Amino acid sequence: MSKNRARALIRLGHWGRPLTIAIPYLWLGLFFLLPFVIVLQISLAEPALTQPPYTALWHWVDEGLLEIRINLMNFRMVWDDSLYASALLNSLRVAALSTLLCLLLGYPMAYAIATAPERWRVILLMLIVLPFWTSFLIRVYAWIGILKSQGPLNDLLLALGLIETPLTILHTQTAVYIGILYSYLPFMILPLYANLSRLDWSLLEAAADLGCRPFGAFLRVTLPLSAGGILAGSLLVFIPVVGEFVIPDLLGGPETLMIGKLLWTEFFSNKDWPLAAALAILLLGLLLIPFVLIQRLEQRLGGQP
Amino acid sequence: MPTGLAPSPAQPALEPWQDPSATPYLRIERVTKRFGEIYAVDDVSLEIFRGEFFSLIGGSGCGKSTLLRILAGLEHPTAGRIEIDGVDVTHVPAYARPVNMMFQSYALFPHMSVEQNVEFGLKQDRLPRAERRARVDEMLDLLKIAALRKRRPDQLSGGQRQRVALARSLAKHPKLLLLDEPLGALDKRLRENTRFELVNLQERLGITFLTVTHDQEEAMTMSTRIAVMDAGRIMQVDTPTALYEFPMNRLVAEFIGSVNLFEGKVAGREGDQLLIRTRWGWPLRMRGFQPLVIGTPVTVAVRPEKLRLCQPADPVASNRLSGQVEDIAYLGDVSIYRLRIAPDLLVEMTLTNVQPRTEQILTWGQEVTVQWSPDSGVVLTE
Repeated sequence: MSKNRARALIRLGHWGRPLTIAIPYLWLGLFFLLPFVIVLQISLAEPALTQPPYTALWHWVDEGLLEIRINLMNFRMVWDDSLYASALLNSLRVAALSTLLCLLLGYPMAYAIATAPERWRVILLMLIVLPFWTSFLIRVYAWIGILKSQGPLNDLLLALGLIETPLTILHTQTAVYIGILYSYLPFMILPLYANLSRLDWSLLEAAADLGCRPFGAFLRVTLPLSAGGILAGSLLVFIPVVGEFVIPDLLGGPETLMIGKLLWTEFFSNKDWPLAAALAILLLGLLLIPFVLIQRLEQRLGGQP
Repeated sequence: MPTGLAPSPAQPALEPWQDPSATPYLRIERVTKRFGEIYAVDDVSLEIFRGEFFSLIGGSGCGKSTLLRILAGLEHPTAGRIEIDGVDVTHVPAYARPVNMMFQSYALFPHMSVEQNVEFGLKQDRLPRAERRARVDEMLDLLKIAALRKRRPDQLSGGQRQRVALARSLAKHPKLLLLDEPLGALDKRLRENTRFELVNLQERLGITFLTVTHDQEEAMTMSTRIAVMDAGRIMQVDTPTALYEFPMNRLVAEFIGSVNLFEGKVAGREGDQLLIRTRWGWPLRMRGFQPLVIGTPVTVAVRPEKLRLCQPADPVASNRLSGQVEDIAYLGDVSIYRLRIAPDLLVEMTLTNVQPRTEQILTWGQEVTVQWSPDSGVVLTE
């Protein structure tokens, strides 16, 4: 290698590292931090009948005199009006229960795929991912057709003689859970599968050899070692479900009070952008808490795949 | 079960397999394991006595590991019966067998500390906490890993992991300890030291050890008896000495150590000596009691260290061969010489380097005559 080329490479190596790191930072700054600052700014403004429908945070009153008006009433209102708090609590409850249901349904499926013969695994994984090829919205709409009173589900149950009169499922909380479970199950299965497929099965043999029955070995070896997958899958389900808007809007009923739906109403029906922005900021803050907690937990579990 | 390390009260006889009245501790009766069309273990019967250090050796795929897994209960035999200490365990699941295994990969639980790993089996037995603690301490002290008790397996070196695996498998005081390539993952020096330690440990605890290895040197140094396996079958079961000096067939002779093989036919008998005409024309005279008919094809097996140099004119010496030195491998303590006797015959000879290397007696291309006594070799018919 010539001396010049070597020098050029060293120079590239010198600049290459910060340049590579700069790209994701730039991305995050442009598409996360900047929108966040804009939303934060809106949340501190007052609603107005202008375009855009909120007041500016600052304006020049005189030469050299800058007036800044920060309105904290939006946050105050969210705090005072129990509607928002109950919507938030309800969202958290729905998200927690959905995550649990996804885990209970997804874990055996991920386990079955991970232990299936090699040639079956690809097919099974394909079946999990296949629904993504259709638009999310269309799939949720399809559930309206399935769940309605004269829909195939009721027809089937009537034909089997399990029920006498059609069940009202659509526009209830049950329909919301069905929709969420259906839509988010792959997000639980995939990280769990990735984790379980790396499990060293000789550990289960060792557990059996040391006197542990199969179920005990599952509890003491498989489950703790798949904690990383359980956490990752739960996060991937829990966080988007808290803010979920489409599923409760299309499948839910009037009693389905969720923060995502409320946000939509504030933005588009009430045209109260500052209040909606304040809600969004609070939601973001609230979702950071479990995220940080889980990261702590993962660090403590440390040293595991 | 006592927790102390007192030697077992009934000291087993030195060579219980020689005693027809002795009861075997582990009895493997006609065990077969078939995977589809392949016989991994083919009609194997073995009797192992209490306190033995027994080794199964053979090349990869000979079925030794499968047999070990069958004994652990991790595989189920297609046919046959297994008895441990008088109890039929053929259909007893792995978790209920009085047997523990040290896995080749160690299979330590990565989410548990060293002491939790060792304690795992004791917890399954629902031993009281104090007793569990005592047993864990005892094991950690025994294997000199007490200082590592809080560490996780990924914070240990290979040698330390091996000790933890051993401590974990010994903690339950099993009736039989199975070891799958126990020293396989260690480097050479550590392996040699650990061999002696393993033997001392086994003698101290009085637990019957059954190890699987592909390393014949390892098996020779540690075992009371060795079974040589090939293609799912047992070729020969014997003490290391008997296996080395009196192999029953060519396969065993070639698997254990180096050997010179001379093919020929029986030409006659003189007392307890057989006269053999080799296929190169020259005769050999070997001790052999087998009633062999003249003309039976046989193979004479002679170990390289049994050969010695002699004068070409030495009149008394039988089994005399002459040839040229073709290769010399100097190993420090000994040198291995390969002598070209015939165009299609190389003979290996080992000589101890009594003299310093500079005064080497043989050089390349030198014409030499070697000889061995009729007692130092065997006549094989298989």
